[in-house]
Amino acid sequence: MARILVIDDNPANLDLMLYLLRAFGHDAVGASNGVAGYEALRDGEYSLVLTDILMPGMDGYEIARRMKADARLVSTPLVAVTALAMAGDRARIDAAGFADYISKPIEPTTFVAQIERHLLPRTQT
Amino acid sequence: MATESTSFSLRDIAGSRFPLLEYAPDATVIVDGGGIIRLVNSQTERLFGYYREELIGHAVEMLIPERHRARHAGERTEYAADPHVRPMGVGLELFGLRKDGREFPVEISLSPIVTREGTFVASAIRDVTERKAFERRLQELNAELESANRAKDQFLASMSHELRTPLNAILGFTGTLLMKLPGPLNAEQERQLQIVRSSAAHLLSLINDIMDLAKIESGKREVTFEPVAIADVVAAVRDSLGSLAAEKGLRFSSDVAGDLAAVTDRRALHQILLNLINNAIKYTESGSVHVGARPVNSGGAPRIAIDVTDTGIGIRTVDLQRLFAAFEQLDPTTTRRFEGTGLGLYLSRSLTELIGGELTVQSTHGAGSTFTLTLPHTHEAL
Repeated sequence: MARILVIDDNPANLDLMLYLLRAFGHDAVGASNGVAGYEALRDGEYSLVLTDILMPGMDGYEIARRMKADARLVSTPLVAVTALAMAGDRARIDAAGFADYISKPIEPTTFVAQIERHLLPRTQT
Repeated sequence: MATESTSFSLRDIAGSRFPLLEYAPDATVIVDGGGIIRLVNSQTERLFGYYREELIGHAVEMLIPERHRARHAGERTEYAADPHVRPMGVGLELFGLRKDGREFPVEISLSPIVTREGTFVASAIRDVTERKAFERRLQELNAELESANRAKDQFLASMSHELRTPLNAILGFTGTLLMKLPGPLNAEQERQLQIVRSSAAHLLSLINDIMDLAKIESGKREVTFEPVAIADVVAAVRDSLGSLAAEKGLRFSSDVAGDLAAVTDRRALHQILLNLINNAIKYTESGSVHVGARPVNSGGAPRIAIDVTDTGIGIRTVDLQRLFAAFEQLDPTTTRRFEGTGLGLYLSRSLTELIGGELTVQSTHGAGSTFTLTLPHTHEAL
């Protein structure tokens, strides 16, 4: 069981990811936009962060940039879950320092296993 | 510069010995070593709005906007030291000044004229107002086109994103229900949810096809050429479509030598074969679908041919021509029977062109079809 923060401004997609993570036994916390997500990150301890990329206010790239600049957050794995699918998007996400990139639509049967690979061994139980 | 062969004077040039000068389409101004206008033609009067009597005997700088006069006098001295035929002010925007004070863009070529009275400089001056206006319009049109293209790319990218976002929730929650995470399903609920899932998956593949087409047509589809084992790609397609063939009770076989390889774009080849084999299964009610590959060495660079053969409904000869057009399904009545937009073959042909291949078909109506994808063996053959 790991504590995982999920940031997505689309309520249905946030609901879906939280549901799947909880169904597989994780303590999943949701944030409905980038600003709220970053505040949750500052105030809490998470083993993994999943974030959408395109969000009003603060996007996924900005969250990545701030986490990389923060000594406490720099080693927390950050995974992009995005509906961006153009050729340039993938390269930009790789360059921004995300640990992984999962494209929407997600595959519900493998989604949780895919993100669990990024949990650091000490946080897995 | 003056030599013995110089046998004419400035008067000769002005007179009937050189009518060409007087009626030349360009304004011609002949200036002496001190920059004084000695001779002009009728086009000069028209272009600058002066009578020739107002020009002759005056410094040529009167025809130049005031801000350029000082520099011009300097350049004139330089030219006098080394006179030869050349355009004036290469890379600079040159302007003429009319009597009424209006400026206009000009192009000027210079040439020395050696006469008995000494060396003069002739300037042929052309008004390029219209050409400059055309150039500006062309630049504006190019900028508009570029911004329209950017807008189209932007539209496609956001369209793709916006369509995927709701599909994520549809496919995702259908998936959680079918995984029975919220609880058990009865057989009918499960059957209906599977229909929701396969319809949503179909919608996704259509979105992907349309985005791919848009990328190919705007030149944005990137290709990576690498050695690709044909058998690997065929095996991957068999993995995705094998169950579809089995559900319809079709025999699905392939015969591809393990060492047969081409330098090509793996994703494009996969997409083309997926489309061809998917079509073969879709349009075949009974019998078989077979995939074979063979080297072709007859004439020209060596190529590889991949055949997808089915025992399906086939294609009438009259229909073969419009087979590869976008949004065509041959018999409108079959649209009910075979779902699809008719994008598959059009996309396949576009992808085939992108990787330098050729896509052909042979068919007997009612007996089946063979689609043949011919690929260059190596990238250099492109």
